[in-house]
Amino acid sequence: MTYAYLFKYIIIGDTGVGKSCLLLQFTDKRFQPVHDLTIGVEFGARMVNIDGKQIKLQIWDTAGQESFRSITRSYYRGAAGALLVYDITRRETFNHLTSWLEDARQHSSSNMVIMLIGNKSDLESRRDVKREEGEAFAREHGLIFMETSAKTACNVEEAFINTAKEIYRKIQQGLFDVHNEANGIKIGPQQCISTSAGPSTAQRNSGDIESNSGCC
Amino acid sequence: MEYEDKAGAPRKPPSPKQNVRKNLDFEPLSTTALILEDRPANLPAKPAEEAQKHRQQYEEMVVQAKKRELKEARRRKKQLEERCRLEESIGNAALTWNNEVLPHWETVWSSRKVRDLWWQGIPPSVRGKVWSLAIGNELNITHELFDICLARAKERWRSFSAGGPEAESEDAGFSAADREASLELIKLDISRTFPNLCIFQQGGPYHDTLHSILGAYTCYRPDVGYVQGMSFIAAVLILNLDTADAFIAFSNLLNKPCQMAFFRVDHGLMLTYFAAFEVFFEENLPKLFAHFKKNNLTPDIYLIDWIFTLYSKSLPLDLACRVWDVFCRDGEEFLFRTALGLLKLFEDILTKMDFIHVAQFLTRLPDHLPAEELFASIATIQMQSRNRKWAQVLTALQRDSRDVERGSPSLRH
Repeated sequence: MTYAYLFKYIIIGDTGVGKSCLLLQFTDKRFQPVHDLTIGVEFGARMVNIDGKQIKLQIWDTAGQESFRSITRSYYRGAAGALLVYDITRRETFNHLTSWLEDARQHSSSNMVIMLIGNKSDLESRRDVKREEGEAFAREHGLIFMETSAKTACNVEEAFINTAKEIYRKIQQGLFDVHNEANGIKIGPQQCISTSAGPSTAQRNSGDIESNSGCC
Repeated sequence: MEYEDKAGAPRKPPSPKQNVRKNLDFEPLSTTALILEDRPANLPAKPAEEAQKHRQQYEEMVVQAKKRELKEARRRKKQLEERCRLEESIGNAALTWNNEVLPHWETVWSSRKVRDLWWQGIPPSVRGKVWSLAIGNELNITHELFDICLARAKERWRSFSAGGPEAESEDAGFSAADREASLELIKLDISRTFPNLCIFQQGGPYHDTLHSILGAYTCYRPDVGYVQGMSFIAAVLILNLDTADAFIAFSNLLNKPCQMAFFRVDHGLMLTYFAAFEVFFEENLPKLFAHFKKNNLTPDIYLIDWIFTLYSKSLPLDLACRVWDVFCRDGEEFLFRTALGLLKLFEDILTKMDFIHVAQFLTRLPDHLPAEELFASIATIQMQSRNRKWAQVLTALQRDSRDVERGSPSLRH
């Protein structure tokens, strides 16, 4: 499978906010109500299409417990995008965002695109963090923001793809040095061949999704 | 069109000629029998040679089918015999463990005969007992101490659920908020521990037991607290031991140097363990080692999960228990030997995979792993590097990393 670029993503945030479920929904299109807890790191991969270019996402899904922070820190290296996830039904997971952000900024390349995600938007009746609060936090810290539901798949696709779009935009603006792998971007193995070759069976063309297409 | 004509023609009842079938003692599936039916009367009859040919074909099919049946029956019989043999050998092994090993534990446990028996896997009926004896109780934990820790944990749950943590002076240094977070986390994680077994989840038979052991441990060792991965270890112990004995084994197991290094997330020491692992990795599987190096597949990617949960999350439970058996016999080095056995078992396919595929494969091992093949693979792994054993390699690396003192973590020397 050829691709124009490979982007490394890292998913971070408190334990139990639904990081692994978001990943599973994105890569396998399914939801596991009781997911195994993640120890260390797990992986996912999927091809997406941005502006007619095939882009491979290599996703690192990390453990959320505070004790594992020192391990997680070593995984920021070489990430082009980060999904910082909190749970809209548990305020403390929102309160911890600052310290996650500090970690992310300190251990990653300065160009890393960060998408703030308020997950579990299907649990409206148990909501503990207002959407506006998430928006305000994102604005204040220069992050992209979305509310998602790994359960209903609402905005999951968009969250991953909008992050890729932003990284791609930065590449086009020359902000990323794509030849330096420390930036989390690799050029595909057959870059000289036109990569707009017919869409493969497994991958769907997901390039044209409007950001914030509000189903949540 | 032709078919429609025929279908439209007046139908005569089919004349069932069963005589051809009757001389066969084997009754084949209906579709295979169709071939023998005479044509309906409204169609021209089969020419004699064609009928003969069909009959022959049919008989051949029957012979084949019989052969298959027989083979299947033989296979089933063999399987049954194998199971009986296995059950008998488990029964015999249990007798040996009960009559010859357990009563004389101190004197025989390290004998050649017992070690060999041990490698075969401990029968489930004596497993817990053997694990307890092998892990030991260096910490001298009594059932009473467990009760005390549990009572204290329960008090805390009550005070937190009643709202507002009150100040306690005895555990100064561990803030109320930390403790609350840890209690909350235990609750969250119990439901995520072996979710497929459905016995640790809310309402399941072992939910409270798992809760008790983890809660009691955070009171017993507030300096370590609850760390993810512990729930899997406690769960496996609960499946093999009574609650208080499971707690004793749990606390003593976590107190071993390798487990302490990991559960305290002593990153430097963990890196030293990984470095030691890599020494034996290169020694045993040089080709795969080079492939991993080239692709930046560092050991932490797969070892963290394997070591933290002692394989109970990544291997099928019965297989994980067999790994625990020998881990109890050989200590921490067997955890790393098992890792190398796994890598060796899949060496051929791993060598052909790129980074992401290896990473995904190793963090999500196949559901069906052949136990005997895995153990045969582990058996071929040499835990000797240039005449140095695991402990020696590890100590040397520890000394080195202490000398380097916070320099870049040199994974190899």
